[in-house]
Amino acid sequence: MIPLLFGISLVAFLIANAIPADPINANLPPNALNDEELIAAFRAKWGLDEPLHVQYITYITNVLQGDMGTSIKTRKPVADDIRQFLPATIELATLSIVIGLTMGISFGVISAVWQNTVVDYFVRVFALIGVSFPVFLLALIGLTIFHSELGLVGGPGRLDFIVRDPPKVTGLFTVDALLDGDFDKFRNALSHLILPSFVLGMFVSGIIARITRSSLLEVLNMDYMRTARSKGLSERVVVIRHGLSNALIPVVTIIGLSFGNLLAGAVLTESIFAWPGIGRYMFRASTAQDFPAIMGISMLIAVIYVIVNFVVDILYYFIDPRIRVA
Amino acid sequence: MLHVRRGVLFSLLMALVLLGGLVTGAVAQDEQVLVIGHAEITDSYDPANGFTQTTGIVNRATYQTLVTFPDADASEILPLLATDWTISEDGTQYTFNLREGVTFSNGDPLTADDVVFSMKRLQNVNGNPSFLADPIVDVVADDDMTVTFTLESVRPSFLAELANTVFSITNADEVRANGGTDAADAEETDTAEDYLNQNSAGTGPYILESWTPQEETVLVRNPNYWGEDLPFFDRVLIVNIPEAATQKVALESGDIDLATDLSPDQVAELADNPDISVFIGPGNIHHFLIMNADPEIGGPVSDPLVQRAIRLALDYDGYTDLWEGSIQPGSDLAFGLAGAFGPDQALSRDLDTARELLAEAGFPDGFDIVMTYPDLTFGGIPFATNAQKIQADLAEVGINVELNPQDFQIALEEYREGDQGFGYWLWGPDINDPADLLSFMPGGKVAGERLNWNDDNAPPEIVALRDQFAVESDPERRLELVAEIQTALQETSPTAPFNQPAVQIAFRSDIEGFVWHPQWLLDVALLSRVG
Amino acid sequence: MTVPTARLESVAERPIALTPSSRREQAATVWYHLRKNPLVLVGLIIVIVWVLISLLAPTLAPFDPLQQDVSNRLQRPALFDSSQETDEEVTDATTHLLGTDELGRDILTRLLYGGRITIPAGIAVIIFGSIVGTLIGSLAGYLGGMWDEVFMRITELFMAFPTIILALAVTAALGSDIRNAIIALVVVWWPNYARLVRGLVLEVKTQDYVEAVRAIGAPGYYILLRTILPNSFAPAVVLATLDIGNAILVFAGLSFLGLGPEPSSPEWGKMVSIGIDFFDQWWMWLFPGIAIASLVMAFNFIGDGMRDILDPRTR
Repeated sequence: MIPLLFGISLVAFLIANAIPADPINANLPPNALNDEELIAAFRAKWGLDEPLHVQYITYITNVLQGDMGTSIKTRKPVADDIRQFLPATIELATLSIVIGLTMGISFGVISAVWQNTVVDYFVRVFALIGVSFPVFLLALIGLTIFHSELGLVGGPGRLDFIVRDPPKVTGLFTVDALLDGDFDKFRNALSHLILPSFVLGMFVSGIIARITRSSLLEVLNMDYMRTARSKGLSERVVVIRHGLSNALIPVVTIIGLSFGNLLAGAVLTESIFAWPGIGRYMFRASTAQDFPAIMGISMLIAVIYVIVNFVVDILYYFIDPRIRVA
Repeated sequence: MLHVRRGVLFSLLMALVLLGGLVTGAVAQDEQVLVIGHAEITDSYDPANGFTQTTGIVNRATYQTLVTFPDADASEILPLLATDWTISEDGTQYTFNLREGVTFSNGDPLTADDVVFSMKRLQNVNGNPSFLADPIVDVVADDDMTVTFTLESVRPSFLAELANTVFSITNADEVRANGGTDAADAEETDTAEDYLNQNSAGTGPYILESWTPQEETVLVRNPNYWGEDLPFFDRVLIVNIPEAATQKVALESGDIDLATDLSPDQVAELADNPDISVFIGPGNIHHFLIMNADPEIGGPVSDPLVQRAIRLALDYDGYTDLWEGSIQPGSDLAFGLAGAFGPDQALSRDLDTARELLAEAGFPDGFDIVMTYPDLTFGGIPFATNAQKIQADLAEVGINVELNPQDFQIALEEYREGDQGFGYWLWGPDINDPADLLSFMPGGKVAGERLNWNDDNAPPEIVALRDQFAVESDPERRLELVAEIQTALQETSPTAPFNQPAVQIAFRSDIEGFVWHPQWLLDVALLSRVG
Repeated sequence: MTVPTARLESVAERPIALTPSSRREQAATVWYHLRKNPLVLVGLIIVIVWVLISLLAPTLAPFDPLQQDVSNRLQRPALFDSSQETDEEVTDATTHLLGTDELGRDILTRLLYGGRITIPAGIAVIIFGSIVGTLIGSLAGYLGGMWDEVFMRITELFMAFPTIILALAVTAALGSDIRNAIIALVVVWWPNYARLVRGLVLEVKTQDYVEAVRAIGAPGYYILLRTILPNSFAPAVVLATLDIGNAILVFAGLSFLGLGPEPSSPEWGKMVSIGIDFFDQWWMWLFPGIAIASLVMAFNFIGDGMRDILDPRTR
């Protein structure tokens, strides 16, 4: 885990170093650019006069002390920016995963149980079409129908513009509004959250459906399933109790793997829905050649990736009895 | 069974989520809030550092100047923080008497010290707008409530310039307490910009509560406002919505009260909507191409013949067709300002002459060039649309343009440093006076600093015209010179002005008091909601 | 703790083993499966149609994709607008079936030309990605030991970055045009192939015929190039076919974000992104969006069918 983190930071560092922008111009306020002392101090702090590998070590040392540099675009410490933008992405990603899992697993189960029937066929074609639609097209169509035409859901942003943020506890607006006992605000936040979450959830549901179907099919043909059926248990009980619980093992893995997909989709979704999250922040950073931010986000994502996969491993331990025995 | 329950849980959650989504609740608000949808372009709300349209709107609400214009135009000079003033016989000294009873937002009274501090800080921090203070040689506090400005020479446009929000009076004590200084070395030692980006220290009807760059700017009522006309709204949110289309949807659904950046097409569509009112008026911002005069940077477009060929190759009528209500300016002096050339006196497209000029310059088959522009939509006009038309226009004379859209701040930095070879930008007058044209003359703010067109590489006639114009104070002779200069610049200059769009603002019909102003664009303190 | 590679592979696309059999037998099997999987057929037909359209675009298209006509800008699609039939001003020569964009360019024409950029870009990403991946994967698998460890750690490292995030960083470093967008995608694409090919090489390495070649004293590079690689290449090609749709989707996403082709180029993702500024003129973004979706869908139909055919467990 630790070597992986260092490796990722190294890649991020090398890419960021290839960005043709001057770190001094970028990091210091314009009126400090004539101050030799300030510039010298900045150079020393980030080791800019040293060879690349020393610069990298300096960067890592600063990061470990919580200093990721200052964003060019927002002129704030990258760590502060992350603190500000991360909760919005967590909120979006969480609901998307819930939606993606619900749709994916349902479709997968339906497809497997009625294998090779018209139902199976339709579900599979539907899932295939779903994953073929560019996220931005789904988002635009969704906005046109559900926001502009029907007015069922909120538009871009996390709340109506006029509504003020709930008092910050977790940074998740829905949760914070509930904690504050403000149900109007909760509904408002949810009405903004629902459409981007669906768009992003659709994006990951296809692969979940496919994996659920194939792994459930595999399980259903196992000996112990036949045993269960021969005991006279109803097909529903067989599928759900014996089949699904075993078939879900690979699905748990997929949650870990889908995470990357989800973040990639989040860049597009957040851009269209003006969702002030990490994806949009990363996109803006990249167009502004804001390398301190790009590096910070890369590090953050690497850390999350490692944590998610660690959690998945633990989940594994609980779900899969074979691992526990071994 | 665990898994079954989990499935049920998911379904429940889904149902809940769906239900919640279907009930879009409007949240009750006790306070009066105005929400403005705006494509934010600003780098600072510090009056001495910020110099963009967004900064103008915000600082008009949070700060005040010694003198000002009427609400709707720049036709006369009115007192504001100064009650009256006298001008010395030789025309170089202005003495202002300050208004009694004015307080800053923190309750401090306004004194002559604050005025001196604000002016000297503006000069010494050397920010983007500081050049406007260059003509000021000295500012002295004669007593607590009297200030005298000494100018380097006679300057007929001085009072009009002082009405610019750049000359906002800031609270000296508050700015000093947060790192500000007006000392000669302020450029290196002043650190108040960060504070002023999050707080205001002025006498205006509003105070800046917060600014999240590229997200939103929040203004709240100034509790210590000295004026008698209190603003209607308690809070003003200026929400950054870069896309014109999103602004329109938000305005139609009532999410925002006012949209500053709708395109002419969208405004036409909104005309039938009873909930929405539209203001259309002549604008003063024009779009133009820059061609760097330094051959190292500009390459082929540094050649005056090529520059002229490009001016003749643009399909001017096409741009006015593209943007309803826009006009073709006759020069870089905004049409509407005294003496400015309008469509009648403007250049017409002449592809044959353009091709001849290119051949004469040694490019009979044209050339390849990269055109840089900020990737933004301003006033409802996407730069990308005009850029693609420029590309198509120039292709007709063999110039093969590669488009290079850049992040606004990155492109702006390159442009301001004078490192951009060929680009597309817009310009709004710094001063509402023909003297604004000086920026586009050799050594001027655009032509000299950004395009390297200076006394050594510009035609001597144009340099001579500039020198005459700068000191001429006879109004009639000035106008004659302005005409001569514009004719000369149509022939030789490193810019190609091509379009001056109309101003198009749409707002909810329950908003009253909307007035457009050529200097600060929009005064939020004048707006109110009926019903 | 490292990320458990074995676990990842348990659910990644399973290595596909093509069992050797006679050509005729194979052809018969293919036909049998095509009939059983009409989706594959549908996918194939859509892909072929798009390829043909792209090749013949200059002949098929009614206009020039770059030709602007400001006086006819933002016209509604004549195809869906019956009111235009009664409109005398509209003559046949200026009929825009799918409407016009903000500069009066014909959307249908640009749509037909769009595949000329998107399809080759998607294929280029896959080809270069698979070459790089195959090289690294086969070296890792063949050399084994420490080299294997090093190569696979690097591969893992690149997999930890979400595709678009890494691509964004790369384009920020290189600048934005089509070539750099492709380079950025190759950087994020190769690890899949590296992992697949490494697994195959490990499998092939222990086969009898490789042992035999080794036994007669053939040099290492010969074994790798002549025996191991050819035998691992086919599965990589299969994976590549399945992957083109995905590559096109991500390329369109980058282009939508403004990285990739320049604004005036008739590329689908770009057209959608410009269309967003004109949200009400839905034809500007809907048609190119559907074009992307249809092509990606076609590749996914093919891919899904092939997975079924080659992996009997899920049939």
